[in-house]
Amino acid sequence: MGFHCPSLVAWNMVSMSKHTTAVFREAHPEPPFWRVRFEMVNPPRPGCFLLADFGAPLREVLFPAALHTEGFDVLVPPGHPVQRLLPGESVDLLGPFGRGFQTEQVERLLLVAEAQLLSPLLPLLEAAPMVTLVLAAPTRALLPPAQRFPPSVELHLITQDGSVGYAGTLETCHNADSPLLEAIPWADRLCASCDPAFYPKLARMVRQQRLNPPPNFAQVLIQVAMPCGVGACEICRVQTVNGERRACTDGPVFDVLDFVF
Amino acid sequence: MIELAPNHKFGLPIATPVLPAAGVFGYGDAYRDLVDYRCLGALVTHPVSLHPRRAAYPPRIAVRGEHLLIHTGHPNPGLSAILRQYRDLWERLGVPVILHVLAGTSAEMAEVMDKLSGETAIQGIELGLDEHTSVEKALALLRSICLNSDLPVIVRVPFVGVSALASPLAEAGADALTLTSPPRGLLPLSEASDDEPLPLMRGRLYGPAVFPLLLQQLSYWIPRLPVPVIACGGITSIADARACLALGAVAVQLDAVVWRHPDLLATIAKELANDSDNATP
Repeated sequence: MGFHCPSLVAWNMVSMSKHTTAVFREAHPEPPFWRVRFEMVNPPRPGCFLLADFGAPLREVLFPAALHTEGFDVLVPPGHPVQRLLPGESVDLLGPFGRGFQTEQVERLLLVAEAQLLSPLLPLLEAAPMVTLVLAAPTRALLPPAQRFPPSVELHLITQDGSVGYAGTLETCHNADSPLLEAIPWADRLCASCDPAFYPKLARMVRQQRLNPPPNFAQVLIQVAMPCGVGACEICRVQTVNGERRACTDGPVFDVLDFVF
Repeated sequence: MIELAPNHKFGLPIATPVLPAAGVFGYGDAYRDLVDYRCLGALVTHPVSLHPRRAAYPPRIAVRGEHLLIHTGHPNPGLSAILRQYRDLWERLGVPVILHVLAGTSAEMAEVMDKLSGETAIQGIELGLDEHTSVEKALALLRSICLNSDLPVIVRVPFVGVSALASPLAEAGADALTLTSPPRGLLPLSEASDDEPLPLMRGRLYGPAVFPLLLQQLSYWIPRLPVPVIACGGITSIADARACLALGAVAVQLDAVVWRHPDLLATIAKELANDSDNATP
């Protein structure tokens, strides 16, 4: 059973533009995470993602936590396999993929996050002249120190146990004095990275606080399993008013008012 | 060239024995920036049904060690929408397109074939059967395709149904068989807590443990079947592909490993081409 491949040489010449590598530079603790720096040409825009091969059966979704001219940073939990890399080692990547946050020509940017999901919003801390960050965690110890944020960012903290800031959770943050409710009318763009279970509540808050919010006023990042990154596996489908959409190619950033809850 | 359907009047020749399995590669354009399609023997599409299907309720994937359990519900926008969207792409793709078709009844399958009549962008059909398909139903679906279409038909046989279905399908006119679709399994979800009943996820099993099961099926069935067999399940390396071909499979389908290593399709195709060139006197 012989067969002949006519274009073996040509295969090697085709540019596979989404298959790339990043060079690991360094990692240092930044409790409760580790900050890891990679060198890479064309790192992803905020809200877009890479799929990194760390040896597991599925590639891991990486959202940049900071962007530099020469690469990007990610935040990973302690014990992550990236900590076994040596400086100069390469990591096999696919991407960048997805539609990220749109913050062009925004004056007043409101960021909303749960502390453990904050990382994808960090590149936006200086994306507008005025930035307010509403950050929630179960308790003070799980919040990053305030000095890690640029001084220009107005920081509002919410803790479930009331150890610092507003006492409550994002989901219960609907009293008139809540920092989130106050900030929504102020902002001309809202970007959020939270548990998707909070997004129906956020959509209701936006509808209550804004009269006819423009499209993409409230952009939310949905973090679901995205094994392929290219819309092939159909595992990351989410329900929107326009029908089912793939988080990996149509998102992972969506208009919160487009979700069907 | 490799002939997937030697008994069919038109045949289904492919240039390389490496194909993506249905459900892992989309409909043709998803991997345009990651895979050189010239390495593919054919494109096997994501499963397509006559009417639109919605995605299964999450969770749709569970990971345990090296293994994945997946249950997507085979969401797709329906045959008409797929043809509208991908017909032009398939025409200029440069590799044969094998449409993976799902249907619940022979009447539904006849409707599918009716919509496909005159389609020049599709070179073959792969019939997908689930593990509950009886012999009678499988044969009825196959008959419905053969009566209403001139296209060569490959049947992807469910893992648990090989012994019941493979021979009857081959004798009833299937041009080739894909052995097998992924076995079904259950896995506990990671959110399980001690004081609640263990939530389980049901789905199709992918991963290296499937490969020995595949070889077992191939070694038993290939000598007993009068049609070509395409190997599918847990193939993750050139050595795995060689083992399948050594047992007599005409081609291999790569499944979930493509998501992690899309370049593996080209790597295996290239290595097998080298094997073939070296074997030619």
